[in-house]
Amino acid sequence: MLDNFNRFVIPNLGLFMDGLTITVRICAIAFAMAVVMGAIACLIRLYVPVLRYFAIAYIEFSRATPIIVQLLWVNYVWPELFGFPKSVEWAGIIALAIQSSGYLAETFRSGIEGLARGQVEAGLAVGMTRAVAFRRIVAPQAVLVMAPSIINQFAVVVKASTLVSIIAIPDLMYDALKVVNQWFEPIEVLTSVAVLYILTIFALSATAKRVADHFRGKYGLDAQA
Amino acid sequence: MNNAVAEQKPILECRDLRKAFGAFEVLRSISFEMQAGVVLSVIGASGSGKSTLLRCLNYLEQPSSGVVFLDGEPIGLRRQADGGLKPDSPANIARMRAQIGMVFQQFNLWPHMSALENVIEAPRQVKGLKRAEAIEIGRHYLGKVNLLDKADAYPARLSGGQQQRVAIARALAMQPKVMLFDEATSALDPELTGEVLDVMRALAEEGTTMVVVTHEMRFARDVSDRVMFLHQGVIEEDGAPAQVFGNPASERCRAFLSSVAH
Repeated sequence: MLDNFNRFVIPNLGLFMDGLTITVRICAIAFAMAVVMGAIACLIRLYVPVLRYFAIAYIEFSRATPIIVQLLWVNYVWPELFGFPKSVEWAGIIALAIQSSGYLAETFRSGIEGLARGQVEAGLAVGMTRAVAFRRIVAPQAVLVMAPSIINQFAVVVKASTLVSIIAIPDLMYDALKVVNQWFEPIEVLTSVAVLYILTIFALSATAKRVADHFRGKYGLDAQA
Repeated sequence: MNNAVAEQKPILECRDLRKAFGAFEVLRSISFEMQAGVVLSVIGASGSGKSTLLRCLNYLEQPSSGVVFLDGEPIGLRRQADGGLKPDSPANIARMRAQIGMVFQQFNLWPHMSALENVIEAPRQVKGLKRAEAIEIGRHYLGKVNLLDKADAYPARLSGGQQQRVAIARALAMQPKVMLFDEATSALDPELTGEVLDVMRALAEEGTTMVVVTHEMRFARDVSDRVMFLHQGVIEEDGAPAQVFGNPASERCRAFLSSVAH
């Protein structure tokens, strides 16, 4: 066991780190895009008359299709239809972003709708326009309430990203499978890779949770957490 | 207080105000005028339309028909050159609302802002005051509600009574022409209503123009200049507290007053 570990994991640590770098990069970009896209979809769904039906369709579509279908679709169909993405990495990023944006849009919506109506009314009553009330009252509180779900969604992206290896993006999972297929010794390699994923997700959620807890504590909201 | 200003034009006027939710008519032709400096208490059973009336006064609720005038200016509607009225822009509605303070039953303080931040938010965001200027005003009004020492506390760390007093300071900080109170003490534990009523009484004595929807009959009788009894969306009784409480013309008002047994 230790022997196999020394033979297949240690020499490939450099390779795994390269893979992990790609995983983190893909996830970070995809998630950032998902937040923006999700926020836009959510705002349109909530506040823009007619267009909201397109937003609903987009949200339902993105949540109802398996990530692997979206990956293959964006990677093989989009270049034919739209002439992009030009690289598999961007295809992976876009597919992950599309799926996550759907979930985030719904998270944002529940955060906004869950806010007591009186919060906005208090803003309107002192003479705020709806836009100011949204920016100063709704958005900051919604983010605070939604923080745990948003963090969770990032972990989902990291986990879903293991599938991008099927369109030949050399992420951590891809590198692990490469080594496994070379030597047919999966136990140590896959276990080590699993640990790397766990550590990545754990480090991330722990940091995010600390930030969220800080603000909850500051506003005296810890009881609601 | 009444008589001194009786000849002025009204600060607030309702003209044939109606409000229906679907087929249900909550307000049916409400008309009244109110002078500056007057404290008007609106009483009535639950569902009589008092809160809806208050919410129509600052256009949080859009009237089905009729007009509310603040200082002669229609709210939510704009005068056309031909004298007609058409719906006003959101920015203008907001501008009118900025001149009307409102205190809610549930306080509705913003939990992510400290007491002082709650109070200076509107002067900063709506009036565009500089931070230092807004803080000066904010501290003045927090002092007025005896909460200067809680300026940096977040709402979750304040008692209900303290939260409601911050909410009053927040409304006052815009230096409104009229203050509306929507059952400001109904959500409070009985032992906390006193501190809020004291603040409201002090404001009344300073000559603040107030419309107070309340279940506190003692407040209505002792502090207001005028009491209005609403029943099923109609003004059933409207007069000085001594008359409304002592010798109401309306049988329903009489029944209501005896049922609340103050």
